[in-house]
Amino acid sequence: MELWKQGAEAKIHKTDFYGKPCIVKERFSKSYRHPILDKSLTAQRVKSEIRAMLRCRMSGILTPTVYFVNMDSSCIYMEEMLDSVTVRDYIQSVQSSKTAVEAIETLTPLANTIGHTLGIMHKQNIVHGDLTTSNMLLQGDPSNNRLCLIDFGLSFFENLSEDKGVDLYVLERALISTHPNTEKLFNVILEAYCKSNDTGSKDVIAKLEEVRMRGRKRTMVG
Amino acid sequence: MAAKVIQCGPYPECNMTLMLFSNVLNAAEVRKCVMGGEFEAALLKTSMILEPFQVIVAANRAIHLHRIKKMMTKNVHSEVLFSLSPSKNISDSFRKFGLADNETSMFVVIVNDTDGSTCQAVIDRVKGQLTDITDVGKYSDLPTIQKVYKISETELSVCSAVDAVVSRISSKDIVTV
Repeated sequence: MELWKQGAEAKIHKTDFYGKPCIVKERFSKSYRHPILDKSLTAQRVKSEIRAMLRCRMSGILTPTVYFVNMDSSCIYMEEMLDSVTVRDYIQSVQSSKTAVEAIETLTPLANTIGHTLGIMHKQNIVHGDLTTSNMLLQGDPSNNRLCLIDFGLSFFENLSEDKGVDLYVLERALISTHPNTEKLFNVILEAYCKSNDTGSKDVIAKLEEVRMRGRKRTMVG
Repeated sequence: MAAKVIQCGPYPECNMTLMLFSNVLNAAEVRKCVMGGEFEAALLKTSMILEPFQVIVAANRAIHLHRIKKMMTKNVHSEVLFSLSPSKNISDSFRKFGLADNETSMFVVIVNDTDGSTCQAVIDRVKGQLTDITDVGKYSDLPTIQKVYKISETELSVCSAVDAVVSRISSKDIVTV
């Protein structure tokens, strides 16, 4: 297996799974954590990742297919999304090749798709936990807006608008800090979000306002 | 046409032999042989299989559970059958995915048949034609598969039926559909 990328939580290897291009996400143990806690945290994250991926797909959101899970070595073997770019790279390439106004125009359909997809996800009470433009892929020609969500390692199931609000807040911060002048796009995302998450969006948007005032972490005073 | 032997990805020292028979006349007899212990193999119902890859994923999971000694069933071959099913009920899985006596086609999986003797025993016993395993799609009954694996049209709008089935097989101990 060939090491492809490494993050704080896991190593990503590329391999072949019975003839299909495959990515192996291996969560390694952290020596600074107590072994018992380490084991249970890792197991819990592998499980929640698999659960969220499957649930998302069942409600019509594209996610990688899981081929094999090895709970002993905390490895997830999943489909490699061929012919795809991250939303991050795509936005950057559009922004660098066009004027600011044109770029926003080109990216508006994508923002619509992102908002729509996140609305569906939150309607199913799935909170992604790490929504950034690097964790979204566009498969095929980017203008087709075939959006695929990846990296559900921090996801959980929760019906609280607080958590959904934080989820959107994380995306807003990630979007604006990695891509300058995208405030308008985030508004498009929110509009589309409200349409697809018709029942719960009002509370979530209210929470988002609240989170914007205080930041992601709740004040624990009193 | 010959049987297809595939090396197990995560455990290179293990392998699986896959065979597809068509125009089978003696399904009941072959099933009795396996039940009676004449040879060890998993006999699958072809109508529940979309592609060989679906069986490979199930067999891969079975081999893994066999190696780490966490099998739910008695042996690795019954585990292949159980892995294929989305259900946690063993007898229900066998009924839905195991070969029935009146069938005229069958898919056979043999794990770790190193010298090919089991494979030969199966070929000698089955009165039918050995066929290319990729032809299994001809027998698959998509509506029933969709029902058993609980695959909605919404899901099929983003992925193929095989992907939907494979995801469920690989995560069956983690997610209950």
